[in-house]
Amino acid sequence: MPSYSLYMGCSVPANYPNYEASMLKVAKALGMELHYMEGVACCGSPNLRAIDYSGWLTVNARTLAIGEKNGNDIVTPCNGCFGSLKDVLHHLKHDSTDLGRVNEELKKEGLQLKCTVRVRHIVEAMYTDIGTDEIRKRVTKPLDGVGVAIHFGCHVLRPADVTGFRPEILRELVEVTGARVVEYPLWKQCCGATVLPVNESLAIRLARDKIKSMKESGAEFATVICPACGNQLDLQQLGLKQSYGETYDLPVLMYPQLLGLAMGIGEDELGLSMNRVPADGILAHLTG
Amino acid sequence: MAETDTKPRIPVTLIEPIDMSRLDPSFREEIRSMPDADELSACFACSTCTAACPIANQWLYKPHQLIRMILLGMREEVLNSKEIWECLTCFQCQERCPQKVRVTDILFDCKNLAAERGIVPEKIVALAKELVDKGQLYVVTADWEREDLGLEPSVPGLSTEAVKSILQGTRTGRLTKGGD
Ligand code: SF4
Ligand code: SF4
Repeated sequence: MPSYSLYMGCSVPANYPNYEASMLKVAKALGMELHYMEGVACCGSPNLRAIDYSGWLTVNARTLAIGEKNGNDIVTPCNGCFGSLKDVLHHLKHDSTDLGRVNEELKKEGLQLKCTVRVRHIVEAMYTDIGTDEIRKRVTKPLDGVGVAIHFGCHVLRPADVTGFRPEILRELVEVTGARVVEYPLWKQCCGATVLPVNESLAIRLARDKIKSMKESGAEFATVICPACGNQLDLQQLGLKQSYGETYDLPVLMYPQLLGLAMGIGEDELGLSMNRVPADGILAHLTG
Repeated sequence: MAETDTKPRIPVTLIEPIDMSRLDPSFREEIRSMPDADELSACFACSTCTAACPIANQWLYKPHQLIRMILLGMREEVLNSKEIWECLTCFQCQERCPQKVRVTDILFDCKNLAAERGIVPEKIVALAKELVDKGQLYVVTADWEREDLGLEPSVPGLSTEAVKSILQGTRTGRLTKGGD
């Protein structure tokens, strides 16, 4: 049974416990052992990188060092955490001066980073270690043909040389649920989450462009693998009614919620009522 | 025919002429020494980055211009620009650059230099303050929601002390001190 160090970050547990719960349930059903990492806190997000590169390095190197000590791969459900950990690991692998400096700091806690640890997004671990064939065996309520638009999120896709994430992974993982992946023109585009504290109206416009592009391409649902992207695409739809007078009613499910439904896990257990845009359509589809 | 009577027209330029005396050649070197900026001078101003950028159309300084401005040494203009903070960090420019210039990473470097001078949007300072005070950007408030889903009310394994103490001794700590 594959075992992992689970790095939760702070956004998922504080804002999207439904993402956390559905991920734990799906992982358990797939035979993945997820262990919450002890003694870790926030990755700082790109905001910390922006104002304090060196502080950002140390904070994330510390998490990596704890993961290295635990011996398992680190997995995370958050693109922000994933991006921070991957980027810091990539940088420190190539910069021995910074690695030395960071390790000086970590020594105070009896930690050391050798850069041997692996960091993966939870969906990568599902795809690579369990595989779509195994997952398919557990799909008892296939979402036959329902059109799902995937929003990957910038920090899982790019920079490609740092993240190493292949978009096909999530496409195949969605298809294994029986859903149909809807291609839409703005699939690579940012949801606007990072600019929210700096220019709110710009952030809302970006979310709107994205949702509009999905909807116009025939998506019945959207799926995301990041709490910040989820916030932008789900919660902002309420704001769009006010700022644009537009209603999209496009339910946005965290990927484990989508998979969980296809595996026959109950909607309560997946926390579907916490999604802002009600997912009634997909439920009707399952029961109908 | 009346044309001969009028004064010669001032040529229409899209941008203000650059004041050469205000250029700071050390700016380029400073950025180049920062993380992921070594390919900076490979930029040949093709503006592919700008074509890839989803928000360049609303910027005074486009991504390729920001890179050019760094190369020219326009320190004040770059570090005081709103553009570096509005950058989505979506890496689309960087992905497309045929010269492997790490445009997004370089804009991160610019933000760090601006932050060193205290030029940081107010709400980003507020987020930094959360990090220094609480060791996390988001704190669990609705523990009943977690319990309803069968989760621990507080996050298992969470420990914020180390992050707080690391950040107190860094630029983040200094930036947030003046804020109260
Ligand atoms: S795409 Fe690259 S080479 Fe072209 S202008 Fe932008 S940074 Fe310069
Ligand atoms: S990273 Fe910033 S500059 Fe580059 S494309 Fe995205 S928003 Fe534009």
